[in-house]
Amino acid sequence: MAAPFTRVYRPLWRIITTTTSNGRVRNVSYTRQQWSAQNVKTAGAAASPWALHGAVCVQRLPVVSQDRSPIEEKFMELMQQMELERSLLADHELKLLDDAARMSRKQEEDYDSDEEEDYKDKEIVTAQDLEDVWEQKLKEFQPAPRTQGVNQKDVSSSERCLADSLILLVKKDIGSQKLWLLPQIQWQMGETLRQTAERALASLPGADLKATFLGNAPCGFYKYKYPKDIQKEGTVGAKVFFFKAVLSSHKHLPLEKNSFAWVKKDELQDFLKPEYLKQVRRFIMAL
Amino acid sequence: MNSLLNKVFLLQNTRALVCAASSVQSQVLTTQMPLGVLLTNRQYRSMPTHGIGRYRHLLPKALPKKKKDKIQAKQIKAPTATEFGVLNVCVSGYDLTLVEHYSQYIHNLCSHLDIKVDECYALPTKSTEVMVMQEQGTKMYLDGVLKTHERVVQISEMKATLFPILAEVLLKNQPEGVQLCIKQHTEADFQARFKTRPELQGLIAKINN
Repeated sequence: MAAPFTRVYRPLWRIITTTTSNGRVRNVSYTRQQWSAQNVKTAGAAASPWALHGAVCVQRLPVVSQDRSPIEEKFMELMQQMELERSLLADHELKLLDDAARMSRKQEEDYDSDEEEDYKDKEIVTAQDLEDVWEQKLKEFQPAPRTQGVNQKDVSSSERCLADSLILLVKKDIGSQKLWLLPQIQWQMGETLRQTAERALASLPGADLKATFLGNAPCGFYKYKYPKDIQKEGTVGAKVFFFKAVLSSHKHLPLEKNSFAWVKKDELQDFLKPEYLKQVRRFIMAL
Repeated sequence: MNSLLNKVFLLQNTRALVCAASSVQSQVLTTQMPLGVLLTNRQYRSMPTHGIGRYRHLLPKALPKKKKDKIQAKQIKAPTATEFGVLNVCVSGYDLTLVEHYSQYIHNLCSHLDIKVDECYALPTKSTEVMVMQEQGTKMYLDGVLKTHERVVQISEMKATLFPILAEVLLKNQPEGVQLCIKQHTEADFQARFKTRPELQGLIAKINN
């Protein structure tokens, strides 16, 4: 279930990140600060011509399990039938049989109720009555629908395709053209790349998304050169490091259609440029 | 005569000779024991097949086990900059088959990815009674019993670069109705597995007071 999962999941993740941050994140950020400090010192000589960006790959995990294929359905039915045939009778079923036998004995003429052993308690409620009561309760139970009633093609809603994991894409203008990409932002001096990615997520306009980052190590990398007219002295292009995050708050607000999209892995090719797609595809798992 | 006999036995050491010699010298032998016993008593240590069935000396030395073997808590490894220390992956839920299968899946996945799995244990089942208030009246009656099962897979020395991948795979394959939580292993977690001994604690308190 989605709700208890997030409830249990989030505070304990905080425990990991806060307890391990004492041992791990500080170490990592310290080394990065060292590196950046050293870079500044040698800036006069040769600064890196690449601008650094941190990007975040926010995933909404699947909420329900995937539907079974026809073969899987048939196999499951077969296994269930085999298990049923091999199983022993439960206590309730034994009671049903006992009650039925007792009923048939009662109908006979030479029936003597004193001959029954420990029957006095069960005179009032028989097993069949219990079963009827339970069936009534089952009919009243309504399970939640597997689809939330959202159009499966509506890319801006995060409730679509509950059986698959979705990735957030944003439309951003790079240079002169508008492109769909994973949310990214430029790295600033003195912060770790993971903090850059967190900032990229927080700075998305209009979307209040809370996500848990899975680790300090980036999962992917993409490098592109600026077109010749934009290249200033010193900057050749940009390097983007991707970090993975898992959506923790399940906000149902639909985001703006033209700037946000929740897509599955096989729909990515409709949105992303081929070179970018090639690098992004490497770290996105379609499980 | 007897010393000559012994020398013959030591030198030749064949059954035929022995039999021949014994049959000749049987009247001369002073001991009243039957022939076969005397011969084998002297015979086997110098036979080439002596000790052919010995194996006890090949077994490792098993020290006698002490009766009260106090289970010591293993030293919990501290996390370094690139590796986690000891992590507990807890799987809990109401449905036993799902919980059990999911924990087996996690264990197999970790051993396949060469992640060291220290232990894989189950915590005791917790029963929750669901009481429903009766429509007329204030009495509550028992509606049902829900059992919460929990399984723990303990992982040690996990690389920090591999952890996001593993976490993502586990989260994506988590079945409905099963809660997953990954936390660091502490001494308290280890001690929680043992039963409390109230009498012992009472006696210790009395001694201290």
